[in-house]
Amino acid sequence: MKLIPHRRSRETEVWLRKETLEQTKRYKKIVREQDALAPKRDRWIADFLERIQTRGVHVHFDQMRKVRPEEIPSKPKRKFRVVF
Amino acid sequence: MARPHIEPFVDRDVSFKKMTLPGFPKGMQYKMLSLDTDDGACTMTVLYEPGYKQPPGMSYAEYELFIQSGSITVGSKTWGPGSYFMVPAGVTLEAMSSPRGATALLFFNYGEPSFVESDTDHAKAERHRFAAVNSYDNMQWTSTNFYPATAPGCLVKVLKFDQRTQGFTFLYCMTPNFWQDNISYHDCCEEAYHIWGTSWMMQFGDLPTGGYFYRPPYINHGAFASKLGILAIGRTDTQLYNHFHFNPWTNVEENRERAASRMQHWKPDLYKWVNTQGHNHPVDFEFDHGHAHGDMPHHHGDGTVEHKHTKKRRRK
Repeated sequence: MKLIPHRRSRETEVWLRKETLEQTKRYKKIVREQDALAPKRDRWIADFLERIQTRGVHVHFDQMRKVRPEEIPSKPKRKFRVVF
Repeated sequence: MARPHIEPFVDRDVSFKKMTLPGFPKGMQYKMLSLDTDDGACTMTVLYEPGYKQPPGMSYAEYELFIQSGSITVGSKTWGPGSYFMVPAGVTLEAMSSPRGATALLFFNYGEPSFVESDTDHAKAERHRFAAVNSYDNMQWTSTNFYPATAPGCLVKVLKFDQRTQGFTFLYCMTPNFWQDNISYHDCCEEAYHIWGTSWMMQFGDLPTGGYFYRPPYINHGAFASKLGILAIGRTDTQLYNHFHFNPWTNVEENRERAASRMQHWKPDLYKWVNTQGHNHPVDFEFDHGHAHGDMPHHHGDGTVEHKHTKKRRRK
């Protein structure tokens, strides 16, 4: 029994609605901040794609393999999102 | 919608608010980290003010409490930083106090926060599932024991493991100069809070002390690094499998489809069975058969996998 059936009070319903609204604002702020991080992220990704060809990509624990140039994916034309 | 993708969020950037929900004693403050808008389940940083007192009582929802700083006294025993409580729904916790104050993480699972003063368990309480441990003093770090595993230098202490869902709650640390060069996603939801230290992820940048995320399934995260190391608490709702890859630009749909394709190749017989049986409500003989009560999600071959029957009533 993970939740015991019960009736929510009106105060609880109001509290949940208020918290839900605040969470929506929080989510939108995160999306804005993450969109603004895009230029830095592009550099981090370029560095990552370089490292996995020279030092390797982690496959399991300390096992790594070097990625061949032809395996490197190219950036799709669609909008790149990190927050969903 | 359950919980949205909250990543990253740093609780140091917001102020505590007074807890005003009915039943909760005065002297408790909170910061909301994430909230399930359907059932009210949530994760909060909480502050117990010095002198806080809470009578014996229970919650309608299961909850987990992790002490970050200060101490609380439950019954006659005092619990300091690193103490973890898993309190099933309806189980009464003895009188609690915090003479000098404390900060904690409070996770309400499956339902909204509630507190009902009571010195006895609810009739439906599962007392045997109650657990309390000081994870700093009385548990040791182990390797992750997953396959494929995270890179060397990521260690865990498992605080709670749900045998049915394989969801778990765990402390984890990254040793100084930890790095892992791949991208990961999981079939489960994952959330974590940084108790101490900063780590970096290629998508989201730095996550410092007080940093938090709630991440729904199939969202890319990684590569990873931490210069000085971190200490964090994490949770999943079901089994955690590391789907590793190195394409930074895949989206949730592509990751989910890849996971399904992998399942098709790893467990072809099961995959076929799940997809072809018309009236599909698998029964695990080790657990209660939910469908006997009419409430187990299943499908009738029409793809509506969350379909449920209403509870059948016996004729008099």
